[in-house]
Amino acid sequence: MKSKRIAFKYQALIPLIVILGAIIIFPLIYSFIASFKDLQFTQMGQAKFIGLDNYRSILSSKSFWKAMQNTLVFVLIAVSLEFIIGFYLAHLLYNKAALFRGFFKTSLLIPMFTTPIAIGLCFRFMLHPQLGIISKILLSIGINVDWFSPKMALFSIALIDVWQWTPFMFLLLLAGMESLPEEPFEAAKIDGAGGWKLVRYITLPMMRPIILAALMIRMLDGYKVYEYIYAITRGGPGEATESIQYHIYRVAFTYFRIGEASAMSYMLIIAISLMVIVLFYILRKGA
Amino acid sequence: MLVFIILSVALLIVLFPYFWTLLSSFKDAAAINHPLDFNFKPTLDNWEAVIKSDIIRCLLNSIIVGVVVVLISLAAGSYAAYSFSHFNVGGSSAKFLVLLAQMLPPATLVIPLFLIMYKLKMIGTLFPVIIAHLTILPLVTWFMIGFFDEVPKELEEQAMVDGCTEGQAFIKVIIPAVLPGLGAAGLFGFILSWNDLFYALLLTTGKCNTLPVAVAGYWTFRGVEMGQMSAAIILAIIPGTIFTLFIQRFLLRGMTGGAIKG
Repeated sequence: MKSKRIAFKYQALIPLIVILGAIIIFPLIYSFIASFKDLQFTQMGQAKFIGLDNYRSILSSKSFWKAMQNTLVFVLIAVSLEFIIGFYLAHLLYNKAALFRGFFKTSLLIPMFTTPIAIGLCFRFMLHPQLGIISKILLSIGINVDWFSPKMALFSIALIDVWQWTPFMFLLLLAGMESLPEEPFEAAKIDGAGGWKLVRYITLPMMRPIILAALMIRMLDGYKVYEYIYAITRGGPGEATESIQYHIYRVAFTYFRIGEASAMSYMLIIAISLMVIVLFYILRKGA
Repeated sequence: MLVFIILSVALLIVLFPYFWTLLSSFKDAAAINHPLDFNFKPTLDNWEAVIKSDIIRCLLNSIIVGVVVVLISLAAGSYAAYSFSHFNVGGSSAKFLVLLAQMLPPATLVIPLFLIMYKLKMIGTLFPVIIAHLTILPLVTWFMIGFFDEVPKELEEQAMVDGCTEGQAFIKVIIPAVLPGLGAAGLFGFILSWNDLFYALLLTTGKCNTLPVAVAGYWTFRGVEMGQMSAAIILAIIPGTIFTLFIQRFLLRGMTGGAIKG
């Protein structure tokens, strides 16, 4: 009887492992091998083994580093704003018994599940210099903003990300707040602490794990930003908004340099892994 | 109260794009060129044009892909989620599993997937994009863990006392207990598949495009197209919006993966 029980709980994992193995492990290995060849889609049979050449040319490619830099800047801006706004909103909906609390909670979440490409096109329309409602409204009060100029474009893309994903941060942070124990708050209030002090010395430290989890999830998602760029700027002006995911897509599917693109994906995986390890280290230290 | 005002402003910011897109879908080209003019005559031309275009076929493709992906994910994922939840296999490694899958940039997976499908001459079908979308499996599994956590162990023990094997207990007793959670997880997975552009763009062609790909095709900036684009956008966002409005209760339980109590 006991041995049967052990078998089932592992048996139950088999479908998951098989599917994920086929879909993830196998392409990963293929990509890994391809990254060492000068594989091009137009000459599939003639890929030669070229060792680390792909990696070398990537490391010296200005486009690659620009894409990585763009992505990093984007992630930092977007996730910080999402955290600050999301935390503030969660704080509002948690602490005060706001009118229509449930209604707000539900409605504020809608952007999270909306198709990103649709959102990208929608904002492109709204921010258009001639046709865009937002541009027109701002113009009527004398503000003229070129949202997708070389300097603004990345920031504008980040703002769109903030619009869509702040609800996610808000959801997670609110859940975290609601699961905090009451006693420390009550004790602090008796000691006379209020408002901001409560947040800084009690709420934030106690929420450390959930905050880090939320930040990590958003950052991982942010690295994959693609839809907004595809919808609006296609990487431009110039390379101002080319994210790393978009760059890999461009190299693989418009230049057909598969080997090089595979190598780039691996470098991206390494970069992401490093970031995750750093974040985990911070998490452990705090716990 | 100040809080109410701030929240209302936030709500306005959130809802305005939807409102504006819906409005624009009823505008003709002249009205599109004058965004501040609210006195326009609404027209159904855009909707007519969109419905007559191949958007509807793409919508059906999205539905087919979503349903297939969800069925597979629920079948494989429910067993795994049960295992993680009730038998605590690998402890907190379930969370790592999701993390690992999330870390993977789609760019890494799509290249080999594309090449293999190309060799197998499958590129003109929905098969490649279905396979690619199965990458949501870890997320869907993680989503379900929280629901399995709420099922008491006594339930399966009782079933086994009555003579079931674990497998039978799972199907006859546990699954019915988590059916709402499975429903929510299924919808969650459907939305994830529905919303994807990257895999769909690269792994589908012409006749098998999914809806996001078709919507992306409106990336031209002639005035006439904006109304149609708006209509297409509205079509694309319906599932996500319905999901949010009706599944809010389950959302929290699923998305926090059972990590947070209550």
